[in-house]
Amino acid sequence: MSGVLANFEHLDSAVEAIEELRQKKFMDITAYTPTPRHEFEDAIPRAESPVRRFTLIGGLLGVTFGYWIAIWSSDYWPLVVGGKPIASWVPYTIIGFEVMVLVGSLATVFGLFALSRVPRLTMTVGYDARFSSADYGVWVATSPDRAAEAAEVLRRHGATEVRDER
Amino acid sequence: MATTARPHSDDPVVQRPNVPSANVRLPAVRDYKQVDDDVLATLKPTLGWFAALATAIFCLLLGAGAWIYQIYEGLGAAGYHPPVMWGVYIITFVFWVGIGHAGTLISAILYLFRAGFRTSIYRMAEAMTVFAVMTAGLFPILHLGRPWKFFWLIPYPNWRLLWPQFKSPLVWDVFAILTYFTVSSTFLYIGLIPDFAVLRDRETNPVRKRIFAILSLGWRNSDKEWRHFTRAYLFLAAFATPLVLSVHSVVSFDFAMSLVPGWHATIFPPYFVAGAIFSGIGMVFTIGIPLRKWFNLKHIITLNDLDAAAKLCLFTSLVVGLAYLTEFQIAWMSGNKVEQQYFWNRLFGQWAWAAWIMLICNMVLPLSLFSQKLRRNPLWLFILSIFINIGMWFERFVIVIPSLSHEFEPWQWGGYAPTWVDYFILIGSFGWFFMWFLLFIKQMPVVALAEIKEIIPPKMRGGLARAHQAVEHGGMASPQNNNPPMGPGAHS
Repeated sequence: MSGVLANFEHLDSAVEAIEELRQKKFMDITAYTPTPRHEFEDAIPRAESPVRRFTLIGGLLGVTFGYWIAIWSSDYWPLVVGGKPIASWVPYTIIGFEVMVLVGSLATVFGLFALSRVPRLTMTVGYDARFSSADYGVWVATSPDRAAEAAEVLRRHGATEVRDER
Repeated sequence: MATTARPHSDDPVVQRPNVPSANVRLPAVRDYKQVDDDVLATLKPTLGWFAALATAIFCLLLGAGAWIYQIYEGLGAAGYHPPVMWGVYIITFVFWVGIGHAGTLISAILYLFRAGFRTSIYRMAEAMTVFAVMTAGLFPILHLGRPWKFFWLIPYPNWRLLWPQFKSPLVWDVFAILTYFTVSSTFLYIGLIPDFAVLRDRETNPVRKRIFAILSLGWRNSDKEWRHFTRAYLFLAAFATPLVLSVHSVVSFDFAMSLVPGWHATIFPPYFVAGAIFSGIGMVFTIGIPLRKWFNLKHIITLNDLDAAAKLCLFTSLVVGLAYLTEFQIAWMSGNKVEQQYFWNRLFGQWAWAAWIMLICNMVLPLSLFSQKLRRNPLWLFILSIFINIGMWFERFVIVIPSLSHEFEPWQWGGYAPTWVDYFILIGSFGWFFMWFLLFIKQMPVVALAEIKEIIPPKMRGGLARAHQAVEHGGMASPQNNNPPMGPGAHS
């Protein structure tokens, strides 16, 4: 992976640099920000996060398993009391609900990790320690022949440091 | 964390507040770097911290010693004898489960309600939740005569004729508490990941840097990661919200599903949930106010935050007070002589002293929070929180002991006196809780760095006015910003 990495002290500078880069058809851009900012979502349009699908599937699997384990074990070890139903769905709703929350939450976390590609064992190119603290970063993945053009745009918008990375 | 929720507006100044920013201002915080410097400075161990940790471990050892004695002597050492076979352990179990609830309320429910004051206190509240549930989880084991058989509590099919009984509230408890612990710990850890990245990037010691690198999972703060993170955080909060209501409802079923006078009431689930949140907010004040002072975080955990939390405390106190009065009304209108006699006995009988401690601490003293002056007085809030902790422990005492000692038949009536073993284990539980909490606050930021940064104006070349606009509206009013809105609400 090759490209240009820029460090910005100001949020508006970073956003404006991204907007100009996109106008110049640099489409593979990543922004780094110490805290989530809507400005970057606006500047770099991306599809809606599919985490919600993991949540839904996990929740459905959980509620199904919760009811199933209660009903199956009641049938397998029946406690017959006064002609009452062996599998009673009202109390089993508590088990179904708790297991739905448990599996749904864990599936959400799994989705977050899978989609964000974490755990990441090594810090690949295109990152700087300042991006977690106070500064904003812009990584432009580009071929070497367009790197100078991207770097010029980033500098013009006030990047405090611009470097080529391979 | 910012969400992607958006209004449907073509106005360039989009009304899209970042979640924690609503009506919260931190005028004494200049920039992101100051947030990191001020909060991470709290991680340096001090002499006072070592003294507090030593005290907590000493209390824990007292409890451990008492437990060993109890295992040797049997459960009789803990003051159990018929008819009272549930005592201090069950009271303290319910007390600690309740303490945990405010953490989830502050971190998840207030997040969904966009209550900005949660931002500065949610991390400590969520940590409190995890450690409180860990403490509560000890008590069912302490309550066992043979604690090494603890795994028999877990409902799984087996050939020892211990059939899983999914209609039993005690089995519901296992599912509810284990789910609550897992989801709370997960929620705490997910919120910590971006802060671990800050620690990783600032750390100079290679060993600690490696540990933080592992804990941060290689987090890079990219917009792609934040996009998934904010959604996952939202869904976890959405799961935690009904969970918190269900857990203490299930705990209340331990009592309400029986026919014992004073327990067999449909009011128990909401009554327990309100009480749990009330007691948890009390504990947030007990630990948060000293931390705010000792860690010099008055500019981050502001008086406005304490004021808002105090209003929540007052509200839950009023709900709890209403539940107390409603219990009496239900007994009066039921026409059930046993129930009526029980509630008369509660106020004027053998255990009246405990009931009056409960009523004064939980109903009367919190009324002082109608005064704005007292709501903004940290010393008073701290003193009041101690009374609330005491009052809420006695609330559980009043629920458990008078009912068991005063059931249907007069020949069944009896007494109960906790022994030194009970008291030492109670003290030990506080030692266990505070030991974990004290270790936590010196290893991990007690205030969420990424979320605090969200509510302070970002550095803007265009000046402070534009920065404030960005905070208020969740985006710059940029004439060049012609990208179509994204997110689930964008086109709805």
